[in-house]
Amino acid sequence: MENKHITIFHGPQHPGITGNMSVELDLIGETIQKATTHVGYLHRGFEKLIERRTVIQAFTIVCRICVPEPDPNEANFAMAVEELTGLEVSPRAQYIRVMVLELSRLAAQFLWMAGQSGSVGLYAVGQWAIADRDLILDLFEELTGARVYHMYIYPGGVRRDLPEGFLQKVQKLLIYMKKRLLDYDDIFINNASFKNRAIGVGVVNKDEAIQNAYVGQVLRGCGIKADVRKDAPYLVYNELDFEVPTQEAGDVYARALVRRAEMDQSVHILEQVIAKMPEGEIMNKLPTHRKFKLPRDDTWVKVESARGEFAYYMAGDGSENIRRMQVRGPSLVHGFTLLEKLLVGQELSDVALIMNSLGICPPEIER
Amino acid sequence: MKWSVDIKGVISPLKILNAFWQKPNTIAYPAVKKETAKGYRGFHTNLLADCIGCANCQDVCMNDAIDMIKVDTEYNAKNSSQCIPRIDYGRCCWCALCTDVCPPNSLKLDEEFVGVSKYASDFLYMPKDK
Amino acid sequence: MFDAIKNQFATDDILIKRADLYKVNVTRQRVFELITFIGNNYNYKTLNAITCTDWIEEGHFALTYIISTLDRKSTIMVQTMINREEAHIDSLSKEFIQAEIFERDLAEMYGINFIGNDNLKELSLENWIHTPPLRREFDTLEFVNNNLTFREGREDNLDVKVEMKRIRAEKKAAKEAAKKLEEEVKDGK
Repeated sequence: MENKHITIFHGPQHPGITGNMSVELDLIGETIQKATTHVGYLHRGFEKLIERRTVIQAFTIVCRICVPEPDPNEANFAMAVEELTGLEVSPRAQYIRVMVLELSRLAAQFLWMAGQSGSVGLYAVGQWAIADRDLILDLFEELTGARVYHMYIYPGGVRRDLPEGFLQKVQKLLIYMKKRLLDYDDIFINNASFKNRAIGVGVVNKDEAIQNAYVGQVLRGCGIKADVRKDAPYLVYNELDFEVPTQEAGDVYARALVRRAEMDQSVHILEQVIAKMPEGEIMNKLPTHRKFKLPRDDTWVKVESARGEFAYYMAGDGSENIRRMQVRGPSLVHGFTLLEKLLVGQELSDVALIMNSLGICPPEIER
Repeated sequence: MKWSVDIKGVISPLKILNAFWQKPNTIAYPAVKKETAKGYRGFHTNLLADCIGCANCQDVCMNDAIDMIKVDTEYNAKNSSQCIPRIDYGRCCWCALCTDVCPPNSLKLDEEFVGVSKYASDFLYMPKDK
Repeated sequence: MFDAIKNQFATDDILIKRADLYKVNVTRQRVFELITFIGNNYNYKTLNAITCTDWIEEGHFALTYIISTLDRKSTIMVQTMINREEAHIDSLSKEFIQAEIFERDLAEMYGINFIGNDNLKELSLENWIHTPPLRREFDTLEFVNNNLTFREGREDNLDVKVEMKRIRAEKKAAKEAAKKLEEEVKDGK
């Protein structure tokens, strides 16, 4: 009996937490012949909104571009404005920024774990991961005033100083995390059902990976040591000691092992930051918002987010508005070029697994 | 996918049964409430004895959420326009820029965050006077 | 490397922005020659992004190709100007496979025609028939005021500067009236 040729929508609701995008699949039986990505459910028009706003007004909406991990957006915006106008950032503000970015990276990796385990069927791991991420969000609530959209990393410094006893709370959380992450090894990373689903699935070709502008764990899972914090260090990362973990296989399991090793590295970086935090000023005085002008110049800045290299292009025109700000997230190439290539020949049940392991976040594809 | 013999991979996930003996992460809301951190960006409060009606908050708000209106209360003698701010919570994003630029520091953000109503007109919020 | 570019492409417009970021400005006809030149000789082989800035006052778009080396340590921005009214340029999707999605995004938002890219379908918008949105002649405030209705309840908004002037004028008029009354009383006495 022949298998029928059908076309279905792997629609905007997913069994893992990837966000609102759909993949149109041409199937024969259960094997995929062709895949086409459709986005457009989350277009909010950020790049047009920024045109009518001054620099300080624009800083408050930039964090909403990426939902799971807002802080690299704020850091990029602040770095671009500081480069165009020549502002300096004090050492204490730089260490606080690194702490916020690493805590945000840890929270985003927990969210990845919830999504990846959901796509395989291990829903209990997802519940644990969201509960542990909540402890990090409690710390953010105390430091910045909000749990998810912090609006804290300001051009010129940070917005508030550390409250009393904050560093001790972070220290306590890190001691808890080191023990807890070993539990995740037992129930998820070494779990036989996850290994049997994930090994050998979604293998990325190493030779064309850099040229096609893949970033993040897709490169590190193939054996290429690529990390913006080491290639083009920003803030104080050149004073901190950490490693870039890699694996050789290039499949879904290799990327999961890389992410798990990165969570350990984040904990290690946070311990160093707490020990080395200097005293001093946190914020430079800025002119009032209608007088803060950008020169006629442009720049390209990048940051390492939890999913890869996140970059901004910013151009000013001499007035107080920003002429153009383009957001180039890590998922733009992964969601279209890489996904459509990887899905050919896979089974229907592996689509959610591959989408989660590439770390595709639709809000930053279509801003 | 091929099935291979993996004793450790089958036995070690059973550790999750330990969760039966641990304290749960959830709390019995609304009987038990969680304490909101100090400095949380909740609803607005405006001390009318200090507000000078300069409309800096209306100027910096990037969603055009603030209206300056006249109401029937006691104003500060220094209030040169006799208007006070009212905020449209359908547009506000709680960025706290309005509190940063307030010259006499009368507009602040409280820790309260629950506001439920059947009517959309209740979302035009007049900050509490404290 | 800058001397080679200056000699071969007759351009002096090369900036060093940071230790790892350079910017070169060339004409539209020689953009692909330059990209192939730095790709073959100096290892700039990864196309990171294509962006576009609208300079409506000067009548052109500034299209920028951002390319970095294979060891990710150096980036170069190749900028060229294209006409705003009939915006078209050759597509790079044969040499760089990721250029297809970048060009699709710009074609939808600015209305630029990339000749050779046959996948310029709509990406984020759906059934959009007005001006391409990121062009500066598309005024979002005017569009919203014409096509959407706002909720009632905010009509009592007052302009603070007008109020301040009015109150000062009232106070001044009240003072003058009081002074006049006093003088009349004095005269009357």
